[in-house]
Amino acid sequence: MQLELAGIPFILLTEKALWRPGTSQLIIADIHLGKASHFRKAGISIPADSVLEDMRKLHALMKKYRPAEVILLGDLFHSSYNREWHLFEAFLESFNDIQFILVKGNHDILKKNRYEIPNFEVMDTWEDDLFIYSHEPMEHDSKFVLSGHIHPGVTLTGKGKQRLSLACFHISKNQMVLPAFGKLTGLYILEKNKSDTYYLIYNDTITEMK
Amino acid sequence: MNLAQTWFKQKGWKPHKFQKDTWNAIKEGKSGLLNAPTGFGKTFAIWFGVIQHFADHAKPQINKLHCLYISPLRALSKEIYLATNRVSADLNLPYTIELRTGDTSMKDRTKQKKDKHQALITTPESMHLMLAAKGYREQFSNLEFVIIDEWHELLGNKRGVQIELALAHLKSINPNLKVWGISATFGNLEEAKEILLGPISDNTEIIKANVEQTININTVLPDEIAQVPWGGHLGLKLLPQLVPIIEESKSTLLFTNMRSQAETWYQQLLERVPDLAGRIALHHSSIDFQTRKWVEENLHTGSLKLVVCTSSLDLGVDFRPVNTIIQVGSAKGVARFIQRAGRSGHSPGEKSNIYFVPTNSLEIIEGSALKDAVKHQLIESRIPYVRSFDVLIQFMVTLAVSDGFDPDALYKEIKSTHAFQSVTSNEWQWCIDFITRGGQSLKAYDEFHKVVLEDGLYKVTSKGIAARHRMNIGTIVGNSMMNVKFLGGKQLGSIEEHFISKLKPGDIFWFAGRNLQLHSVKDMTVLVKSSKDKNGIIPSWLGGKMPLSSQLSTSIRKSLTTYKEGGKLNEELKKLKPLFELQEKVSHLPGSDELLIEKIKTREGYHIFVYPFDGRLVHEGMATLLSYRISLLSPVTFSISMNDYGFELLSDQDINIEELLDNNLFSPDFVYEDAIRSINSSQMAQRKFRDIASIAGLVFTGYPGKEKKTRHLQASSQLFFKVFEDNEDNNLLLLQAYDEVINFELEISRQQAAFKRINSQKIIVTYPTKPTPFCFAIMVARFREFYSNEPIESRVEKLLKQIEKK
Repeated sequence: MQLELAGIPFILLTEKALWRPGTSQLIIADIHLGKASHFRKAGISIPADSVLEDMRKLHALMKKYRPAEVILLGDLFHSSYNREWHLFEAFLESFNDIQFILVKGNHDILKKNRYEIPNFEVMDTWEDDLFIYSHEPMEHDSKFVLSGHIHPGVTLTGKGKQRLSLACFHISKNQMVLPAFGKLTGLYILEKNKSDTYYLIYNDTITEMK
Repeated sequence: MNLAQTWFKQKGWKPHKFQKDTWNAIKEGKSGLLNAPTGFGKTFAIWFGVIQHFADHAKPQINKLHCLYISPLRALSKEIYLATNRVSADLNLPYTIELRTGDTSMKDRTKQKKDKHQALITTPESMHLMLAAKGYREQFSNLEFVIIDEWHELLGNKRGVQIELALAHLKSINPNLKVWGISATFGNLEEAKEILLGPISDNTEIIKANVEQTININTVLPDEIAQVPWGGHLGLKLLPQLVPIIEESKSTLLFTNMRSQAETWYQQLLERVPDLAGRIALHHSSIDFQTRKWVEENLHTGSLKLVVCTSSLDLGVDFRPVNTIIQVGSAKGVARFIQRAGRSGHSPGEKSNIYFVPTNSLEIIEGSALKDAVKHQLIESRIPYVRSFDVLIQFMVTLAVSDGFDPDALYKEIKSTHAFQSVTSNEWQWCIDFITRGGQSLKAYDEFHKVVLEDGLYKVTSKGIAARHRMNIGTIVGNSMMNVKFLGGKQLGSIEEHFISKLKPGDIFWFAGRNLQLHSVKDMTVLVKSSKDKNGIIPSWLGGKMPLSSQLSTSIRKSLTTYKEGGKLNEELKKLKPLFELQEKVSHLPGSDELLIEKIKTREGYHIFVYPFDGRLVHEGMATLLSYRISLLSPVTFSISMNDYGFELLSDQDINIEELLDNNLFSPDFVYEDAIRSINSSQMAQRKFRDIASIAGLVFTGYPGKEKKTRHLQASSQLFFKVFEDNEDNNLLLLQAYDEVINFELEISRQQAAFKRINSQKIIVTYPTKPTPFCFAIMVARFREFYSNEPIESRVEKLLKQIEKK
């Protein structure tokens, strides 16, 4: 679905990512890699399939959009170092002509030397003339804020006691919160606010809920 | 004179006939099942047989274990420990008895291993732990007897399967092992004997005590039926009627079905009858062990007038002063009702007195049904678990941890049990494969390569795996509990993580009979302080949704028919008359040859109520199955609600039920197939799989004191479930999850019977304009299931449209 943020065209992707065609940037929040292995270390064995699925989804996005830059809005890696980081390193290497920028999130607690990869850069926030890229949502007077952290979702209710919870993009005033990209992430159900806009994601569709 | 005669003469007692019969049977070398209620000397009936055998046969210089006594309950174990040691002392017999339960310290265990004692009283779990210790064959080399107490309690769950496996293995050490079970009365005693002793055992006997106690059953009735709500479940409206009953009794146990209900009743009783303070106590499974012990001791001495409790006091040692039982809400089953009634009247010459307190008006009919069922001794059967591969896998690893096992020998052993007699050699090979290589799906993960083959024996060689396995032995998978403590350190009990996660620091809640304020949560401990605020929330615990048994539901239908056909009305049915008349007026009162369906339209949508009176589990299954059949014609989404009397399908669209009925909606054909198809999309098998994964050792539940949060456990067992479903659909653990759903959640055989019955009934559809006495309780129920086969796109579209209208 196409829309304009601060006058600039963006495309909301059903893969739970954001595409900015003008600068050829792919924007992704809250992948939470390493979560499965983190659990396994704690004695809970999660087969690695969920991770592979996230990586496959990432690969497919890269092939489809061929971005110049990928901006990761925090919580890329769920915990302290484990073997899943190698998967991501290999991934970075296979796209070594593309610049990756990680805007650090509260979960990104890997040691600095882990991040020392040529096409990978870590920052606390990142901004250009019009936008601020941040992990946590924030208000800004002049610029539009793109963020993650929340894992936004909405619950629809209706006749016959029906309930349905869906992930969404959430736009309020001059900021947008992206849905969490990772498969092993939950939803935080938002209270609906009349002045906000919600773009619901299900299967291959994105629909606006007013 | 033999030991029994000497001892009974010493005491000046006369043995019962069943005691003499049992002694004789044991003397003849038989195994068997003793069917006797508590409080009539059932332990002695077995025990003197055992020690007589010892006196007659044992060579005193061999100081090895002669008898294993398995009891499911710690409180009972202690009692038996004291009683049997007293017998040895009275008779000056060199026969000492030790006690080992989950509470026994590591130090005492090591001491026990070295000590020479002749008998050991223990739990099924501790028995398996002994089999996980190196050199156990030596320890059991002289074992002659295994006694399984409260077999009726163990039979209906996986602890029973654990017993079957352990017995088969002990028999391989001593083929002449004599096994005796002790059990209360239930529907399938003959089968219970066969399960305990193995399908191919001879020289066995069932001995019946025939000393049934008389039970006085009273239903507490409101003066006016309007005094009791249509849809309640607490029963507090009848509290005033209970005060004189409590006052006139020496000591009373008040049973509720849920812990939250017990908390509420305790609070309300204190508030409305203040002079009970100091003479009333609360007892349920979440209350601290020490406190519970204190309550039990004071029940023995008679210093408590009233104890509000849950199933936590269903079993255990008798309290002589207790002469009255109050059952709040449906007892759900005849056996359970009789069991609870039997907790009273143990002083000589006393009867059991039980008062049934209906919590909603329609429930009054259960009083009538219970009287009828008890009179005709319609007692439920216990359905045994079979083919529980999770327990088998756990057991295989247990033996691999200690001395290793020979696959062919062990296969023969398990084939001799009731639970695993149908296991094929392919299935057996699958189990071996699973513990050695993680099976087909998990072979890439080292942590599932637990067992290795060494010199023809399967063994666990890793110390870490062995230690973890020992810690996870058992088949009871609880919800994760958090300790509740005062800031000063005093322990109050434990509470489900699920409840605490919804509270914020500063919130007030009511627990263990006190008003508490949440201070903070640290790891798995909840720190609280006292509060004066009266408006605390009461924790809701999961569970407590026991279904009505088939016996009780049959009796309810019978009572309805008695009323309908103008038979002689008992006081319950007389009281129900105005309610039934109203139901007849606004809808219809179904007789035994009728099935009632009510169609009602409200602001919420289109409701269809169906009343088979078959208990909530059958209703849940039936509702899902009907949803499936309806959805075959057109996509539909239902919200499903049920109680023990009927169920509701709520939809946002009008369902043409009349046409569906013409198309054989209730056809008894393909019930099994449709049931399986209808749950395919549901969460039931996944929920079952959580326990299975944990028992089979796929997920580690944690080191003692550092239990994993259950939420994590759920997440990971779900993933295993998905992996198995995607990659290995013949995975036996996966199939077991479906089997358990079919047999225990959907109660498929009851469901098939219900469909058959309905097919012979006349279906009556009414169109009430307002909620009826029958439907009200179902309509307001908060727990709902969900069925949908509508594409998600169209559901979102419809829901969004409704938002726009608002």
